[in-house]
Amino acid sequence: MKNFRYLVLGALAATALPFVGIVVGAQAQFNSLGRAPAEEGGPLMPPLEPGQAIQGRQVYLSLGCVSCHTQQVRPAGQGGDIAGALGARPSVARDYVLQPVVLLGDRRIGPDLANYGVRAKADADVHLAILHKVGGRDQFGFLYSGANHEIPSERAVMLAAYLRSLRQDYSSPEAPLK
Amino acid sequence: MTQEQRSGRPDEDRSRLSRIDAPLRAPFLLLFGSAALWLMLSSALSLLTTLKALPAGIGSYEWFAHGRLEAAARNAFVYGWAGNALFAINLWLLAQLGRFEIRNGWMASVGGLFWNLALTWCTGSVIVSGPGAYALLDFPVGAGPVLAASFALAGLWPVVAYAKRPTGHNFAAQWFVVGASVTFLLAFLLAQAAVFWAPASGVVQAVAHSWYVRTVHLLWLGGSALGLGYYFVSKVLARPLHAYYLASVAFWTYFLFAGWTAPASLIGSPVPLWIQSIGVVGSMMLLVPVLLIGLNLLGALSRDGGWFRAWNSTSLRFISIGIVSLLASLAIAAWASDRSVNAGLRFTSFAEGQNLLLLYAGVTFCVFGAAYAALPRVSGGRWPSAAAIHVHFWASTLGAAGAAFAAFAHPSAHGFISAVSAALLLIGHLAFASTAFAALLSGVPAGESQPAHD
Ligand code: HEC
Repeated sequence: MKNFRYLVLGALAATALPFVGIVVGAQAQFNSLGRAPAEEGGPLMPPLEPGQAIQGRQVYLSLGCVSCHTQQVRPAGQGGDIAGALGARPSVARDYVLQPVVLLGDRRIGPDLANYGVRAKADADVHLAILHKVGGRDQFGFLYSGANHEIPSERAVMLAAYLRSLRQDYSSPEAPLK
Repeated sequence: MTQEQRSGRPDEDRSRLSRIDAPLRAPFLLLFGSAALWLMLSSALSLLTTLKALPAGIGSYEWFAHGRLEAAARNAFVYGWAGNALFAINLWLLAQLGRFEIRNGWMASVGGLFWNLALTWCTGSVIVSGPGAYALLDFPVGAGPVLAASFALAGLWPVVAYAKRPTGHNFAAQWFVVGASVTFLLAFLLAQAAVFWAPASGVVQAVAHSWYVRTVHLLWLGGSALGLGYYFVSKVLARPLHAYYLASVAFWTYFLFAGWTAPASLIGSPVPLWIQSIGVVGSMMLLVPVLLIGLNLLGALSRDGGWFRAWNSTSLRFISIGIVSLLASLAIAAWASDRSVNAGLRFTSFAEGQNLLLLYAGVTFCVFGAAYAALPRVSGGRWPSAAAIHVHFWASTLGAAGAAFAAFAHPSAHGFISAVSAALLLIGHLAFASTAFAALLSGVPAGESQPAHD
C-alpha cells in the first residue's frame, strides 16, 4: 500500500509542479500587466478595440483561421520575422492584455497577421484576402453573396474590421520603436 | 527485483485468467468499439483536410472550413480514439498484471457512455459552430465537467486495479499506466480552470495551453504507451528487460521532467524568456529518461534476435515500432528546442510531423499492438483474418511514413503526398476496425463463460 501512495502522489505532484512553476509563475508576473504609455504622458497602448473588431474576433475564431495564421512577431535574433517585414518590432505580452483569448497560433500556412492592419490599405483588399482566391477557388465564399462574392455579409464586415484592427506598430515600454 | 521482471505470465492459470477477463468484456466492447469508430472518423476528417489543399477539393462550405475539420479530427483522434482505447487497454493490462477481478465494470461502461456522448457533442459543435482558440481545449465550456466526470468513472480503473491487486506484483508497466491515468484528470481540470473558469491574463493562457497539451501528449498518452512497451517487450520475448533496475529511475525522471518541456513550444513567442528557457532545459533533461527507457526496452530487443522475434509477433511488431517512434520524437524535440534550430522550424509543419511521430507512430502503434493481444483474450473470439492484419500494418506504416515525410520535408509536395498518406491511413484503419469488431463480437457471450463469483 505504501507503494501505491507514493506512486499516485508522486505522479500527481509531477503533473502539478510544472503548472505551478510555469503557469502560476507567469500569472504572478503578468497579473497587473495593463495598458501603458510608451513614454510619460503618451496615450495608453494597446488602443481599445472597436466593437466591430471584438465581434470580428469571434468570426475569426469560429472559422478556424488560427489553424493557418499566427499573430506573433518573434524578436530579431529568433527567426526572420522582423527581417521579413512581418512587424517593425517583436510582439510583447502587453500587446495582448485586452484580448479575452489570445490567438497566437502555431503554424504559418498563410502569413502572420499580427500587423495585417498596417499592411491593409482598403476594405476591398481585405475582403479579397478573406476570400483567399487561390487557384480561382474561394475558401470563404459563404461569407459573401453576389455573383462574384462581391457583397460582404455582416460577419464578413466584422471580420474585416477585426483584421484591420490588428497592428502592433506603436511603441511599447518593453519594445520601443526606434 | 529479478523475479518481478517476468511480467508476462504464461497461461498456467486459465480459470483465474478468465475470471479476470470475462467481466471486462462489456466495458471493453463499449470502450474499444467506440475507439475504433472515432479512429475511422478522425482519419476520414484528416483526409478531407488534405483534399482541401488540392485544386479539385470540395467546395467552400462553412462546416468544412479547414480549421474546423482539423480541430474535429484532432479531438476525435486524441479523446475519441486514444482516450477510449486506453481506457480499455489500460484497464485490461492492470487487471492482468495485478490479478484484479473487476466487480463494478458497469461504472466503466457508464463513464465510457457519457465520455462518448460528450465528445459527440464537442465534435459536432466544432463542425457546426467552430473551434475555440486552443487546440484540444476547443469545445463548449459546459462539456468540460461532463468529460472530467466521465473520465473519473472510466479512466481511473487502472489505479483501482493497482491498489486492490491481491498479488504484490509491482512492475514498471504498472507504474507508467497508473501515473498516466491519474495525470490526465488533474491536468484537464487545471487547464479548464486557467483557460475557462478563471481565465489567466492574456498570453498566460497560451502558456497554460502549452502545458496542457504537453502533459496530455507525454504523460497521459505517452506514459500509457510506455507502460504497454514495458509489458509487451518482456512478455513476448519471455525474458527480463535490459538493466531493469534502472526502470524506476526511468519512470520517475520521465514523469518529473515531461511537463517542464511545455514552453519549448513557445520559443520566440511573447512570453517571458525565463519560461522559454525552462522549456529548453526541460526538453534536454527529458533525454535522461529517453536513454534509460531505450536501454530497458531497446536493449532487451537488441539481444538474441529480439528484433527478429518482434517482427514475427503481431503485437510486438507494432509495439517495437511504437517505442522507437516515441523515443525518436522525444529526441528530436530536444534537438528542436535549441533556439537557433527552433528559429527555422517554428511555425512550419515540423510540429505536425512531431505529433505524428509521437501520437500516431508512437502511441497509436503501441495501442494497436496491445489490442491484437487483448481483444481475443477479453472477447474469447479470435482475429478473423491474417490478411486484414497485413493490410492494416502496411497501410498504417506506409501512411505514417508518407505523412511524416510530407510534414518534415515541407513544404513542397505537401498536398499530394499528404492526401495519399491520409488515404492509406484510412484504409489501414478500416481494416483494423472491421477485424477488431469481428474479433470483439465473435467471442462467446460473457454470461456463458463467466464463472460465478465466489
Ligand atoms: C488553409 C489555410 C488557411 C486558412 C484556414 C486561412 N488562411 Fe488566410 N491565408 C492562407 C494563405 C496560404 C495565404 C497567402 C496566400 C493568399 O493570399 O491567398 C493567406 C492570406 C491571408 C491574408 C492576407 C495576408 C497578407 O499579409 O496579405 C489574410 C488577411 C488572411 N489570409 C485572413 C484569413 C482569415 C480571416 C481566415 C479565416 C476566415 C483565414 N485567413 C484562414 C491560408 C489560410
